[in-house]
Parts: sequence; C-alpha cells; structure tokens
Amino acid sequence: MKLGVFVSDYTITVDTLDRLKAEKLGIILVANGVYHATIKENGKTSPLLDKTPNLYVLSEDLQTRGIAESDVDKRVKVVNYGDVVDLIFNEYEKTAWL
Amino acid sequence: MGDVKLAFVVQRPQYKGETSRLAITHAIAYQTVEILLEDGDTVTPTLCFIGEGVLGLQKGQKAMDTYGITSTETHLKNALLVDLDVLVCKEDLEKYGIPEDSIPDAEEMGADKTIRVVPFSEIQKAIEDAKHVLFF
Repeated sequence: MKLGVFVSDYTITVDTLDRLKAEKLGIILVANGVYHATIKENGKTSPLLDKTPNLYVLSEDLQTRGIAESDVDKRVKVVNYGDVVDLIFNEYEKTAWL
Repeated sequence: MGDVKLAFVVQRPQYKGETSRLAITHAIAYQTVEILLEDGDTVTPTLCFIGEGVLGLQKGQKAMDTYGITSTETHLKNALLVDLDVLVCKEDLEKYGIPEDSIPDAEEMGADKTIRVVPFSEIQKAIEDAKHVLFF
C-alpha cells in the first residue's frame, strides 16, 4: 500500500508512525507539523525525517508562521496546496492524519 | 482588592488550535476589565511563553495572506502597544534553536515595551506572584 501521512502537530508519537505499514510511505507536514522540517530540538532534527525519503512540507503553512524556505531541512520538499492535491490523487492510495 | 496579578502561560504552538491565541487576546482584554473595577483596584497581566509555546513567535508571519486571519505576530504587537509584559523562556528558545532576534517588537508602531526573553526562573516568579494562573 502507498500511504500518505499528514502530520499537523509538532508533538507526535513516532511509535504510531512505526506501526503504519506501507510499501511506500510519504509524510506531508502541514499546520504545526511544519516545525518537524525546521526545528532542531536540542540540536537534533526531528526523528520523523528519518522515517522515509518522501517528505513534504506545505509552503503556505511555513509562510503563515514566518518561516523561510531556506530554514527547511534539505530532505524535505516544499510544496503548495496544488502539489498536495496531486500527491493525494497520484502518489498515494490511502491517506492518514496524525 | 488592590492589584490583582494574572499570569497567562502559553505552552502550545500557535495556529492549529484557538487556545494559544486566546491567551493573547484575553491578556489584552485586561484594559476593558478596568472600567468595571473600583478606584484604586487594578489588574496586571503577564503573558508568558514556555515549552512549545515559543514556536510561532517569529517575525514575518503571513497568516492574513494565507489563512485570512490576524497573525500571532500582530496580536503580540497589539499586546506590546497596551503595555503588556510579555516574557519568553530563554531556555526553551535555545532548546528549539530559535534565535532571540527572530522575536518581533512593535517599535514601528510606537510601543515602548518589548518582548523580554528571560530565564524560566523569572517566568516561574511571575506565576508564583499571580493570583490567577491560566494555562493555554
């Protein structure tokens, strides 16, 4: 199964993500989930970024919070709303919200 | 009654929920409360940001452009304009790697007050001094 997971909070149980089995996992960071792409807590990047190479962050939610795209971890692709729609329809069979 | 101190403590990030925003608007509303008080009675609120509450305080927020709502940045500037004490936990900014100079001020709007980045001990004192402590 190709699974796209929306993460909309900064505090998250990575364990939950580990229990989701997918042959292709995508993580789409939205709302306060965008901090996973930008914050280095105690100097370390979010463990979420190690879960899959398919990482996306919503540009509008970065702009809302005053975060520059240059602050986004290099592993994460910055996408807009239109791109997210394309991801849902073209890349993933199922989506989940954490 | 004298002076009643209030502490509004924001411990969650902005935007996803309403609660952290309400802390700022409630704190600003202290001015309207004063018309209901007897002479000599005052209310002094302090707005504190700790933990994940320090996320979402950066300059340059575009919430009006993207969501059509007033940004946290603008709310903070309004708080400074009404001379609210706004404290941000220094240790938590460091924990999340957020530079102090990314925190906005309201100098261009004529505010004398600035947001103060302080050790948690100072925020703890504000909490201890307050008659009512409200966590958001």
